[in-house]
Amino acid sequence: MSGDSARPLVVEELTKDYGSVVANDAVSFTVNEGEVFGFLGPNGAGKSTTIRMLLGLLKPTSGTAKVLGADIQDEAALTDAKRRIGYLPAHLGFEEELTGETVLDYHGEMKGDTRRDEMLELFTPPIDRPIREYSTGNKRMLGLVQAFMHDPDLVIMDEPTAGLDPLKQEAFNEFIRDERDRGTTAFFSSHVLSEVRRVCDRVGILRAGALVELENVDALLHRSGKHVRVHASDDAVTAITALDGVVGPERFAEGVQFIYAGDVNALLRELAAHDIRDVELGEPPIEDVFTHYYGSRAGADEGDGGEQKGDEPDGTGEDDV
Amino acid sequence: MFETVRYEGKRRLRGAAILTAGVGAYAGFIVWYFTVLEGVNYEDVFRDLPPAMLEAFGIESLSTIEGFLGAQVFNFVWLLGLGLYFAYVGGGTVASDIETGRMDIFLSLPITRSRLLVEKFAALLVPMIAVNALGGPIIYLFVVAVGETIPLDNLFLAHLLSIPFLLVCAGIGLAFSVAVDRAAIAERGAVGTVFVLYLLESVVGGAEAYDWIQYLSPTQYYEPTPILIEGSFEAIDSAILLVAFVGLLILSQALFERRDV
Repeated sequence: MSGDSARPLVVEELTKDYGSVVANDAVSFTVNEGEVFGFLGPNGAGKSTTIRMLLGLLKPTSGTAKVLGADIQDEAALTDAKRRIGYLPAHLGFEEELTGETVLDYHGEMKGDTRRDEMLELFTPPIDRPIREYSTGNKRMLGLVQAFMHDPDLVIMDEPTAGLDPLKQEAFNEFIRDERDRGTTAFFSSHVLSEVRRVCDRVGILRAGALVELENVDALLHRSGKHVRVHASDDAVTAITALDGVVGPERFAEGVQFIYAGDVNALLRELAAHDIRDVELGEPPIEDVFTHYYGSRAGADEGDGGEQKGDEPDGTGEDDV
Repeated sequence: MFETVRYEGKRRLRGAAILTAGVGAYAGFIVWYFTVLEGVNYEDVFRDLPPAMLEAFGIESLSTIEGFLGAQVFNFVWLLGLGLYFAYVGGGTVASDIETGRMDIFLSLPITRSRLLVEKFAALLVPMIAVNALGGPIIYLFVVAVGETIPLDNLFLAHLLSIPFLLVCAGIGLAFSVAVDRAAIAERGAVGTVFVLYLLESVVGGAEAYDWIQYLSPTQYYEPTPILIEGSFEAIDSAILLVAFVGLLILSQALFERRDV
């Protein structure tokens, strides 16, 4: 257990049962020091429930977790640990009538603000204006500043880039990578595959309240494929869907859409060989990835092979999925 | 220490200023109205009112400025108006933070739930103290301005002894605030409770068989008119209010410790 207690985040069989719905069903995982851990899942999977239990906002029905060594059921220990935790909630409820500066002053008094100026150079909410005038992106940036301003050892973020413009998202990704290199541990939830793909060392996937797979980013990236939507003639559609790596083609009046997990060049060559009226290539919606690759939760438990191939030696294999 | 009181207190300043200005303006109107009514025979005016109503509105001696203020300002504004106001804002303290997601951020800070609750409640002292500490002198200046006099010590006592009463009203709000999920429900529940208790005390006070019910109401333990006129009050009444307030605070803490936010 000594190895576990040194880890910033150890979650064991954490369950939250609301009676009508089990928001978290025996979720277990660990996050290692200096690691960026992505907590991936579609909306409504129960990611926020896990996160809010980790911060003591919700009481678990059963199971437990240790955050920076503090048991989440031990309020005194957890309160003490919060000095070294940064938290960015999904829904940013700031006091609308106050300026960002007043809010940051208060946070500084409560937990410290050694990196406040540095953070404000990177993320630039208009702190002299009242928060009611903020856009979603500005609120998110203010949230990021308060989450990191006290130089925490562990940062827990719930959908950190929601509402940020693409440039700020990129700045965030780069910032998280730098933070990791400084030794900060980051745990964040997302329903955007590309985001966790770019910055996370490891990923846990939550679906309908249960953790379905823990694997390294490379395996996920390899598996998830592209979402392809093609407008073309029936002949062309038949030829394209015959390609290796086409998963779950769905035809519609003017063409077809599918997830493509094969070689991108092969797909492009095939497309070039036909008269294509329109084509879209993009991130697959995360729910599609689950449906196509895991089918059901039961299937996911068996399809765990990617974990063996993973090149992350630290701890992934021993996590109970 | 007390960072949260300062932070939350700052957010109460505006409300406290508006409240104090409103109460001051109303008191000014009442003092002016007293001068207009001078010479009216009150025995005639209120002869037809039933005794229970005279009791309910605390109408005792309207021909003196103390009695007039006691009935028109203290019984209406302090006992009923401010009682309901602090029940209302008490009801909003926790429930509205939970509803808007602010509580997530508060509880991510290194502060225990019980301490957070106490500090958030303590911020309600800003309007509570402002309306008394500024309202008292405002009333006194108005009285002096129309050429009347009022015993300063009695006026001071009427304000001071209102604090335990207002704490209980705010405490009822706080208990509602931690018990329910939505701010609107907590606010209405608290206002409704204080109002019903006020009515119960007023109405049941006359019926001997059920007169014990009046002792449930916080309004039973703060009677501003006798304080203003004679400076008479029972210390035990304030003690009862303070004990009730502490009880409500402890109850609220226990509920808040256990709940999900």
